[in-house]
Amino acid sequence: MQFGIFTVGDVTVDPTTGRAPSEHERIKAMLAIAQKAEEVGLDVFATGEHHNPPFVPSSPTTMLGYIAARTENLILSTSTTLITTNDPVKIAEDFAMLQHVAEGRVDVMMGRGNTGPVYPWFGKDIRDGIDLAIENYALLRRLWDEDVVTWKGKFRTPLQSFTSTPRPLDGVAPFVWHGSIRSPEIAEQAAYYGDGFFHNHIFWPASHTKQMVNLYRQRYAHYGHGTPEQAIVGLGGQVFMRKNSQDAVREFRPYFDNAPVYGHGPSLEEFTSQTPLTVGSPQEVIERTLSFRDYVGDYQRQLFLMDHAGLPLKTVLEQLDLLGEEVVPVLRKEFANRRPANVPDAPTHAARVEAKRQEVTQA
Amino acid sequence: MKLVVVSAGLSAPSSTRLLADRLTAATTAHVDAEVEVIELRDLATEIAQHFVTGFPPARLAAALDAVASADGLIAVSPVFAASYSGLFKSFFDVIDRDALTGKPVLIGATGGTARHSLVTEHALRPLFTYLRALVLPTAVYAASEDWGEEGLATRIARAGGELARFMAPATVPDVDTTAAIAPRSLHGAITSVDPSAGFATGLVPFEQRLAALRGE
Repeated sequence: MQFGIFTVGDVTVDPTTGRAPSEHERIKAMLAIAQKAEEVGLDVFATGEHHNPPFVPSSPTTMLGYIAARTENLILSTSTTLITTNDPVKIAEDFAMLQHVAEGRVDVMMGRGNTGPVYPWFGKDIRDGIDLAIENYALLRRLWDEDVVTWKGKFRTPLQSFTSTPRPLDGVAPFVWHGSIRSPEIAEQAAYYGDGFFHNHIFWPASHTKQMVNLYRQRYAHYGHGTPEQAIVGLGGQVFMRKNSQDAVREFRPYFDNAPVYGHGPSLEEFTSQTPLTVGSPQEVIERTLSFRDYVGDYQRQLFLMDHAGLPLKTVLEQLDLLGEEVVPVLRKEFANRRPANVPDAPTHAARVEAKRQEVTQA
Repeated sequence: MKLVVVSAGLSAPSSTRLLADRLTAATTAHVDAEVEVIELRDLATEIAQHFVTGFPPARLAAALDAVASADGLIAVSPVFAASYSGLFKSFFDVIDRDALTGKPVLIGATGGTARHSLVTEHALRPLFTYLRALVLPTAVYAASEDWGEEGLATRIARAGGELARFMAPATVPDVDTTAAIAPRSLHGAITSVDPSAGFATGLVPFEQRLAALRGE
């Protein structure tokens, strides 16, 4: 099981000071947070992609390239890369380059993740959202898997004998997760390719996540990639911790109450009971996170949202200390104890290179 | 059969609830139905939360489910500022856009003066027409002065008879699968947080989508 963090990259006013960081401060904070993730023993850092304020991460591979140079073990990923409005040719090249720079410590999460106005900024139409996700990804797969591609589609100019460079490291493309909150079409797409399915899992009730993951697992088996239990599932999560549960609630409440995504609505207590948000002691976070398995089954990747809603960098780094020192070691052990032998581990570049080598040897 | 009554009255006792009860009695006089009354006042906070978070808290989800699964609906609002109340509209703003498709709906409104009596035609009827409900021809408006008049009872009886005539056990729901699982419901989406409801029916297999894009 892999553990990590995923960031949205929002620039939000800290409600306790009334001050928002500058874009530059926020970007530097994200870089510090990623390095801290490695330092405390997490496996994954994933960044979102946005092209509108108040979000800063418009250029994930640039950011991840820097982090690659500053880390040794961290897997660099996205949450999500926009398969709808980005040119699949550029995605193929950017992430293959990142693979080389990072010695293979790269995977990528595809998503549509766009609000309506973003589409025309990149020459696209939101009404084509699902179709763009399907066609662009189908092309991206070919660009990674085939050295020379001749292709014609609906949404971009045709390709004649085109080679995307650099070729994927060791001939193995980055592992792909498909992230979706509510589109069964995307769960279906992930299942069709035998790729991973990531449910963001925050802001909505667990029952909804369960529905989506179940669909993906059933369709994964339908397409012959393995049993439903063997499908590759990732989940998000959202926590705020202090040693003492009451301190966590007291400190996080003003951030919760003013957060753009749920502030000014339900109380912290109501939202905690209705969604996977956990505010409390490390032990409470451990128990809650272990319970995710009860409704999605054994899964491969758990990412936490830690640096949002205006929380200062210092606080986020303290949170990562708690996560790395007190929570993740216990979760690693407990999830491993519960996982049946036939459920595969989270995909890594090294494991996939080895699997490919065996495939070639056998053939 | 199941008759669901949505009352948006705010006071207790409420003349809106009184009208809703009279309409219910006029309906059940003709048809054997299990009645569930939803007082929107009790759900006011949860409706507001749904707007902020994008999903319904449990009690609201249950109410939305009840409306979606009803064989007939009675919907009554007080008149505020020449239209239905904001709370009434908000409830129908968060309901699945297909939840009322083809469902017989009896509409009613209450107000302080008879000058608002066409609110049922100007406001409620277009709302439910938009939601593709089968809005019954007789709508009942009750001004304060109507409660002592004979005409109100006649209209209530006629309206109840109409609803009873059109109520029939629900057929196969015509629900868009994408919308049905979407918690974010700016145009109406989730009505259920019950995982057993499922949503895989109607899912287009991936090969078909891909083939359609390739023009095959």
